[in-house]
Amino acid sequence: MASPNLLAPPSSITPATALALSQKAPPILSTHPTSTLPWPLSLLFTSESPETWTIHENLFYASLRTGDDKSARLILDRLSSRFSPANERILTLRGIYEEALAKTPAELEKVFANYENVLRDEPTNFSIRKRRIAVLKSLGRREEAVTALTVLLENSPTDAEAWAELGDLYAQGGCWAQAVFCLEEVLLITPNAWGAHAQIATLHYLTTPSTVSTLALALRHFARSVELNESYLRGWYGLKLVSKKLIPMLAEVGRGGNKRGNREDEDEDAPPPKLETVKKLEELATGKLAEIVRMYGAGKKGWTGFDEAEVIAARELLDRDGKIER
Amino acid sequence: MAQPIVQTIHRDPALFWWILLPITVVMVLTGILRHYAMTLLQSAPKKQALPQIRQQRSLVRGMNLRANANVLTPSSFQARKAYMVSAYQEGKFLADPEGRGKPRPNPMSDPAAMEGIMGMMKGNMAMMVPQTLIMGWINAFFSGFVIMKLPFPLTPQFKSMLQSGVGTRDLDVRWVSSLSWYFLTLFGLQPVYNFILGSNNSANQVTQQMGQMNPGAGLMGPEQDPDKLFLNEAENLEVMEHRWILEGVEDRLLAKFSS
Repeated sequence: MASPNLLAPPSSITPATALALSQKAPPILSTHPTSTLPWPLSLLFTSESPETWTIHENLFYASLRTGDDKSARLILDRLSSRFSPANERILTLRGIYEEALAKTPAELEKVFANYENVLRDEPTNFSIRKRRIAVLKSLGRREEAVTALTVLLENSPTDAEAWAELGDLYAQGGCWAQAVFCLEEVLLITPNAWGAHAQIATLHYLTTPSTVSTLALALRHFARSVELNESYLRGWYGLKLVSKKLIPMLAEVGRGGNKRGNREDEDEDAPPPKLETVKKLEELATGKLAEIVRMYGAGKKGWTGFDEAEVIAARELLDRDGKIER
Repeated sequence: MAQPIVQTIHRDPALFWWILLPITVVMVLTGILRHYAMTLLQSAPKKQALPQIRQQRSLVRGMNLRANANVLTPSSFQARKAYMVSAYQEGKFLADPEGRGKPRPNPMSDPAAMEGIMGMMKGNMAMMVPQTLIMGWINAFFSGFVIMKLPFPLTPQFKSMLQSGVGTRDLDVRWVSSLSWYFLTLFGLQPVYNFILGSNNSANQVTQQMGQMNPGAGLMGPEQDPDKLFLNEAENLEVMEHRWILEGVEDRLLAKFSS
């Protein structure tokens, strides 16, 4: 794996990576990014570049994550003296800092009140709006967070991140249909995101009561996610899981005659997949999962990028399957 | 074996130090100065009000729906389409629902638009004033000087470019006059500015003018009526054909991996 890089950190940072990132703080903090020379000379001898500030921002997140509040404070002061404290982004960073330092719900409430003040002056500050929702979430006020998110999305319906968050909140509350709707919006914005396809498939899979049509949808979305990314472990895992659940149901529908099938056809988007197809898909998924587990175990080059927990889960699924067959 | 006669002009070496170098240095410094002047004069982009943002992003949402509809199941696409079309036709997302159907106000009377025009004027002034001054300075002091000889031959077409201010017909094209040197530096210093100031500087007027070609060529220029855009989008949505990409995905997947 490449060594963690502050300029372009990975999208999901493991605790170990975060620690490695935040340990880079002392050398960065010891050098001063802006020149201390008087004005005309400072223009010539500055080592400042846009990257400097990206590094500072990422370092800020990493040090907050690892509890290095002192460094975070220093970076925040540096950023707000460079860009004004009223800058939208700096306001957000300050909010994150305060949230991280808040120990009790009362302190969080204070941060929350602060956000309300900012939003009253500046209703278009979407990042503060999102921080406000995050505080609501960490205070456990899910309903209010949902309301706030719907207001945000009413005003900015092209925000995939917010749609995904709303979908998550709905899923937590068990409102599957709403969650699916939100994820569909995410897909409309990023149509080829296999992660979003897998997420929507998971939601269909979890929908209660599960019927042939919801499971078929889950199957199709999982299939789409692995079609987009052939080595997507979660997609293959889900594909296997769904098809295993779907095979007995399809067999039953097949045995129960065409009466039920006909009635369902009317409001259904597409006929459910054929039994043989699903069986074949299950075999394919099993084969792929076994390959990934094997290659990951052997530490083959190009196969080590998987999340360890996911590989273990896949191995367990395969093992369970093997026992039943035996 | 008639070799072309090589013209030789004995130039005072002081010409280099007192004309060529000063012109170049002054041009570079003006560029840098202009860059900083522009940075100072630039007004921060005006923040849009919430209804405007909503109006614009709702339109984008409709476009997204149209572009990426194939990820949706037919039933959920129909539901979305019905909602979007009716909301568009009712003008639900308009920033200014009362102003529907009224003609657009004259952009000159709109203070926000005026500000943009003023910004453009400021930029133009920052370019024109120093250019006029320097050209006057060169014309007054250095006109008519032949200051350097290019080390390569050129066709006679370059005469007007390289020898402006020197009215000699028989002079070889390789000789460059001071005024022409000024023009060459005026248009050719962009790489130097890139080196000194970074790539997105506002030192050169050529790039400035290119930037002004389409100010705000975004989705919703101030001249366009948002209501018309919405109605247009609603019509587009109405007539679009929907294909579900997930239909038959399982067979596609099997075919892909069986081969």
